[in-house]
Amino acid sequence: MMAALGAAIRRGVFSIGVLAIFVLFVGPVAILVLTSVRPASGAYYIWRGTTFTLQNFVEVAQQSQVMQAMFNSFVLSTLATIFSLGITVGSGYMLSRFSGWIQRSWFATIYVFRTVPYISWVLPLYLVNTRLGIYDTYLGLLLPHVAVHVCFFSWLMKGFFDGINPSMEHAALIDGCTRWGAFYRVALPSAMPGIAALAILCWLSTWNEFLFALILSGQRTPLITSTMAQFVTETGTEWNLMSATAVFAMLPALLVTVFGQKYVIRGLRM
Amino acid sequence: MAEVILRDVAKKYGQLPVVHGVNLTISDGEFVVLVGPSGCGKSTTLRMIAGLESISSGTISIGNKVVNDLPPKDRDIAMVFQNYALYQQMTVYDNLAFGLRNRKVPEDDIRIEVARATQILGLDPLLSRKPFQLSGGQQQRVAFGRCIVRHPQVFLFDEPLSNLDAKLRAQMRLEIKSLRERVPTTSVYVTHDQVEAMTLGDRVVVMKDGWIQQVGTPLEIYNLPANRFVASFIGAPAMNFIEVDLVEEQGKLRANAEKFSIGVPEPQASLLRKHRVGSVTLGVRPENVHLGSPPVDTDTNFVGEVAVTEQLGAELIVAIKSAGSAIMASRIPPDTSLAIHENVSMWMNPKSLHFFDAKTEAALR
Amino acid sequence: MLLLIAPAAFVLVCFQIVPILVGMNASFRDWSLVNPLKTWVGLSQYVAVFTDPIFLKVVLPNTFVLMVTSVAASLGLGLVLASLLNKPFFGRPLLRTIILLPLTIAPVITATMIRWSFNDQFGVITTFLAYLGLPEIAWLSDRWPSFTLVILTDIWIWAPWFTIILLAALQGLPPEQFEAAKIDAATPWRTFTHVTLPMLRPVIVVCVLIRSIDAFRTFDQVWILTGGGPARSTEVFSVYVYVQAFINLDFGRGAAAAGVGAIIMLFVGIGLYRLVNRTMETSR
Repeated sequence: MMAALGAAIRRGVFSIGVLAIFVLFVGPVAILVLTSVRPASGAYYIWRGTTFTLQNFVEVAQQSQVMQAMFNSFVLSTLATIFSLGITVGSGYMLSRFSGWIQRSWFATIYVFRTVPYISWVLPLYLVNTRLGIYDTYLGLLLPHVAVHVCFFSWLMKGFFDGINPSMEHAALIDGCTRWGAFYRVALPSAMPGIAALAILCWLSTWNEFLFALILSGQRTPLITSTMAQFVTETGTEWNLMSATAVFAMLPALLVTVFGQKYVIRGLRM
Repeated sequence: MAEVILRDVAKKYGQLPVVHGVNLTISDGEFVVLVGPSGCGKSTTLRMIAGLESISSGTISIGNKVVNDLPPKDRDIAMVFQNYALYQQMTVYDNLAFGLRNRKVPEDDIRIEVARATQILGLDPLLSRKPFQLSGGQQQRVAFGRCIVRHPQVFLFDEPLSNLDAKLRAQMRLEIKSLRERVPTTSVYVTHDQVEAMTLGDRVVVMKDGWIQQVGTPLEIYNLPANRFVASFIGAPAMNFIEVDLVEEQGKLRANAEKFSIGVPEPQASLLRKHRVGSVTLGVRPENVHLGSPPVDTDTNFVGEVAVTEQLGAELIVAIKSAGSAIMASRIPPDTSLAIHENVSMWMNPKSLHFFDAKTEAALR
Repeated sequence: MLLLIAPAAFVLVCFQIVPILVGMNASFRDWSLVNPLKTWVGLSQYVAVFTDPIFLKVVLPNTFVLMVTSVAASLGLGLVLASLLNKPFFGRPLLRTIILLPLTIAPVITATMIRWSFNDQFGVITTFLAYLGLPEIAWLSDRWPSFTLVILTDIWIWAPWFTIILLAALQGLPPEQFEAAKIDAATPWRTFTHVTLPMLRPVIVVCVLIRSIDAFRTFDQVWILTGGGPARSTEVFSVYVYVQAFINLDFGRGAAAAGVGAIIMLFVGIGLYRLVNRTMETSR
């Protein structure tokens, strides 16, 4: 009897815990989404009143800067992902399959520069960009993002290739492949799950990235994160519009997560 | 009284039955071995006794108490796992003390118990080391130690020697036997190795596909296997099986196969006649197949061509092509010269012939 | 072989190493929008940073407090959540997806959500707390309440990161030690502390290492939630640098501050790396 009661209490506490977690993580999002579908007057005291509207979204969509920012962020995320992966695949492969002083120094470089705080190089990056004339352009945003990923992704890629048995490549070499061929036709396909996972994570992190967006972009190539920040910090009063913008900014990331989730799990389970 | 009684114990995973109605009584102090191939249900049965698997139906009692609903810690058992399952981050001492500490035994008593276990197993120099610093054999000894510190009613062993290399396994078998002398406790031991089963068990339980095939002492199982499976599983090299037709010839019963004919001796002949079977499976162990001419009045000789010879140093094992397949003979003197494709005469020990029903595979006795 | 790393090295050099060098160069100069002469001043910028009371008494402590409390609490919460999600229960797949929310949403947006929820007049949570009868806290107008909010936001974002990694680790643990613990009458708590945690230690250490280094660089949430205010009292390291460089328009000072942070992180990184290695050795 007592055991059954104890079990019931435990289950009750467990359920409350689960519910609490649910509320904790969904709460703020729900509040935001709710605010975004209330008209301007109802944005305050959102739990009172029952008028819902999609007008906010319409208004935001008509603001060219927001839509431009969405577009720019999308292009940037996609390009940055492609380039980052393209560059670091080779780097990671080299770190995994080769040895010698070049490999060791490259690895040390990668490791050391991973710990440098972003702010330490974004600031001068602003100066470099201005000097090169690419401030506030696609190139000026793309290349730094790719640079950020070089260290971390090389390290991860190395891990992926470490997990792939090199005997397959040896067999390929014996079968007449060149070193490049072995890489391209044997190692790379095996690393695909991991690379796919990384692609999704890269896309997401570029879409959500803020500091570089703030410093390296301006009026010409706005990005969604810096635009969002601009609204908030400019003594925001139109919270209904702001939350609608936030929902817009959230949606692509949510979609990518929902659809990419299983690739990420599969890829990182190496 | 630490009797372990299993009554109609069965286990199903969803709809899939894994263990069918096991009935077994293990007496106090008895060392029983559950043996069989992978997937035969022996580990599942052991884990049901331990409480690590739930029992789908039937009852298990330990020492007169039905333990079906008791958690493992309340069943007064101890278990040795295949991969030792030592607590990797604790010293050997703490590994041994863990179970006692959880049961709020005073530290002084713990020290005494651990000292006793250490002395029995020779763990003294290892007490402050951690499991990853020990060899496989040492780790297994610590696992044994974990068992005996608590003086449980039953020891459970789940293939404890499977992770060790052959030589170490032989050594550990002896250690298990000596442990039995020092700390006699009712034990259930699971293995797929029939050598361990034969050497360690007071009684052996052979299992296959979730069913008990036979229960008996090692010698009973060896000499009087209940069916073809038990006969083939126990004993190495494995028993020879020959499909034969039973034919009456001049008042004598003969077992015939392709280019093979031996006389069936009494009392088996009368037995087979009573069963009225036409074809049976003849079983004979390799050590009962001999080279050369049979003694007088023995009608169990046959001829065949040497296919393979295996020189073991202490004996020669030969495969002879006969009766449509290969018949193995062992214990041939190692210096016998036999050439491949040579035709040789062999004979079987008439007292060691087994006959199995061709369809049910049950032994005909 | 060199060809493999050439493009990566090129980008790294141009857009990370060169800027860092430029930054280091700038940190030794008096370089601001007001004074574009960029005169060499040696270490005086660094001195200025170190003697800046805001840096010493506010920014550094803030940053380390954020680092330590956020990582510790995220780890704790992450462990709890991972343990919770380890066994199947009704609604587990849903909860597992919900946990991903904080990682999917940009920190900027999270900070926006929190800022809105805690708005002193209309915030849902503020009103709810008042409804419960709790005393009013000026969330965004006092130092410690707003800094607490920053920390809580950081935990909200990063606990799920720990959760996912720890959950994967938990599910990869071999069951035998747990079974032995069950037979050894270990309570769930003792099993957790004596069996689970030791086995998780390598993963935990690596996670703490990575997350600590990242926590030092936090910018987004702080900027959106408080902007470093009120009166620069919740500034953390990255915000301080930004303020110096882009608001005070003193690139020299900002570069020096950035340099200081880089050096601090270098040492912390190396120290943590050694710690990680040593822990990995002993738990092999």
